[in-house]
Amino acid sequence: MTRPLTIVSLLPELLGTNGDAANARVLAQRSRWAGIEAEVIDVRSATDLPEYVDAVVIGSGSDSDLISARDILAPMTTNLREWTTAGVPILAVGTGWELLSWGIELADGTAIEGLGVVAGRATPMPERATDDIVVDSRHGRLVGFENHARNYVGAEASPLGQVRTGTGNGAGTEGLVMGTLIGTHLHGPVLARNPGLADHLLRSALVRTGQMYAPGVRTQAADDIAQAARNQVAVRLGLSAE
Amino acid sequence: MRYAPAILLGRVVRVLARWRKPGGGSAVPGLVVNKVAPGFLPRTLNSFPDGLIIVTGSSGKSTTTKMLVAALRAHGTAVFTNQSTANISQGLTSALLEQVSLSGRIAGDIAVLEMDEGHGALISGSLTPRVVTLTNVMVDQIDRFHDSDMVAAMLAKIAARATGTVVINADDQYLANLADHLDGSATVARYGVSAEVLAANPRGLGYSATTEDRLDAGEGMLLTQAQGRRATVSISGREFPLGLPARGTHYAVDALTALCTVQAALGDRFDPIRAIDAISAIPPVFGRGEIVTVRGQQVEFVLVQNPASFQLNVDSLESGTEQILVAIGSDVRDPSYFWPVITSGLSRVRIASGSKGHDIALQLAYDDVVVDRIELDLGRALDDFLALPEPLIGMKTIIFSADSMRRTRAHLGLVTNSEA
Repeated sequence: MTRPLTIVSLLPELLGTNGDAANARVLAQRSRWAGIEAEVIDVRSATDLPEYVDAVVIGSGSDSDLISARDILAPMTTNLREWTTAGVPILAVGTGWELLSWGIELADGTAIEGLGVVAGRATPMPERATDDIVVDSRHGRLVGFENHARNYVGAEASPLGQVRTGTGNGAGTEGLVMGTLIGTHLHGPVLARNPGLADHLLRSALVRTGQMYAPGVRTQAADDIAQAARNQVAVRLGLSAE
Repeated sequence: MRYAPAILLGRVVRVLARWRKPGGGSAVPGLVVNKVAPGFLPRTLNSFPDGLIIVTGSSGKSTTTKMLVAALRAHGTAVFTNQSTANISQGLTSALLEQVSLSGRIAGDIAVLEMDEGHGALISGSLTPRVVTLTNVMVDQIDRFHDSDMVAAMLAKIAARATGTVVINADDQYLANLADHLDGSATVARYGVSAEVLAANPRGLGYSATTEDRLDAGEGMLLTQAQGRRATVSISGREFPLGLPARGTHYAVDALTALCTVQAALGDRFDPIRAIDAISAIPPVFGRGEIVTVRGQQVEFVLVQNPASFQLNVDSLESGTEQILVAIGSDVRDPSYFWPVITSGLSRVRIASGSKGHDIALQLAYDDVVVDRIELDLGRALDDFLALPEPLIGMKTIIFSADSMRRTRAHLGLVTNSEA
């Protein structure tokens, strides 16, 4: 493949409150460290979409921006469906994930219709969940930070993992997996802190372009730091270090 | 004399608290008095002859308040002011108890209070400030104030209490919206930067949302130039040069905010030259541009309080600075906090430290910054960093969060300009 791996960061300002857009940067770096050129394309409207899309990252935003973000994303619904069908990895965090769902129920009783790309919907919680979260997943133990005011129902059949500590979707599970699309409440640099998840997405992207992925030397150094950071949180929460 | 018993009680508690723990217990008298006489705090704060000024917003409160107090005093105004504390009601009441007479009066013409937006929104309901100054809305302390909407709502609540003037940053879209929806008698005074100043900051000024259009000279006070520690402001069509306590456009905006507030507070008595001279004479503060000699070496200490100030400080560091220590402490609850910042300008960091040392090192690694070592023990990190031979390029630079700053001061036994 002669073109660089293209990672799309959807609405990096509107949906990037917690530094979620940095996950695109993380995928690109891991790819470069493995010797594969990569670029991040910021997409602020459908017209910004590049010809080839290898991976997509969408983050979390303010509730007052939900409708405007949804309206910008709406013309890209077909693209999103095509990507999920074609196996393009998509990471959707927080409200970005909620917007891809059937809809978002707000605390005031109104609802915002989602794009309907993934099953399930977001429903209000009595209290905001703001804390560290630890999840057991097939990509290893995931450690992150959650900060959300809504549960997610309808993902019980295929969650990202089981909650060890924290709130997650609200009934013991966290996140959603639909093919190569992953929705999660773990915000911010979830892929930097959890390289198992990052490499799962990266491998999904590279398998489509017929490339082999072998983590680079610098990847290992970064992953050692990530493990120390994860263990620090786990031990503080009374879990064993890995 | 209504509050004399409560004041006396507070004084007794203060003596007892200090007796038990010398130098400490400063919030306890406030806690006690607020309990027995909840009306004491608002009544005292509302009783200054020239009124109360509240400075609040996400960022720049401390510097703005300090500049504002200096400029007011330069006009011969007697000012009561506070050090911002975690729990503002208790801290304030304790501070008032230090100075209040038994009749419940405090010597002074005007009170200037810096308020954290969260606690400010809680206590402002009983206050009648003459002027409320709003600095900006930034993504700040996101684990507590979860998004910009919530911050803006808290600021609106405080602004709604103003009886005279609400002073706003016209470049901040959230504040511009807030000003459009103010009801009540207060007028709005605006300040902002020129198109040139904004263009010189390609990453913007860090506000959650910046307005499309710049303010006209006829609509308010303007920052027309900011270069290093020099700035130029335009007041009623006249340009004035200004000196800043540290380099950076955000300090120039703080000065502009202070000037606009002085004008709102003093009206016709406002003398721009007097105010600017006072602001220009403010010495640099520890952690905000002050260079300190420690163990025979010059060290610059840089406090980062939010992603915006982190970015501005990274961008304004002398390029090639070869000895940098970054320490992020437990005050940064959520490690996602600094990820919007692009740290690649640092190139190499000798030590990443503080209880969030792993997290900041991880971010630096992804920004292609070489991190020589992670040492969570800040004391050991500081000792080893200071023991390095003098750098060839740039100055020894320590970048830290507020918690790491306090620990650094304590470890090095620094007695310098206070951070307030």
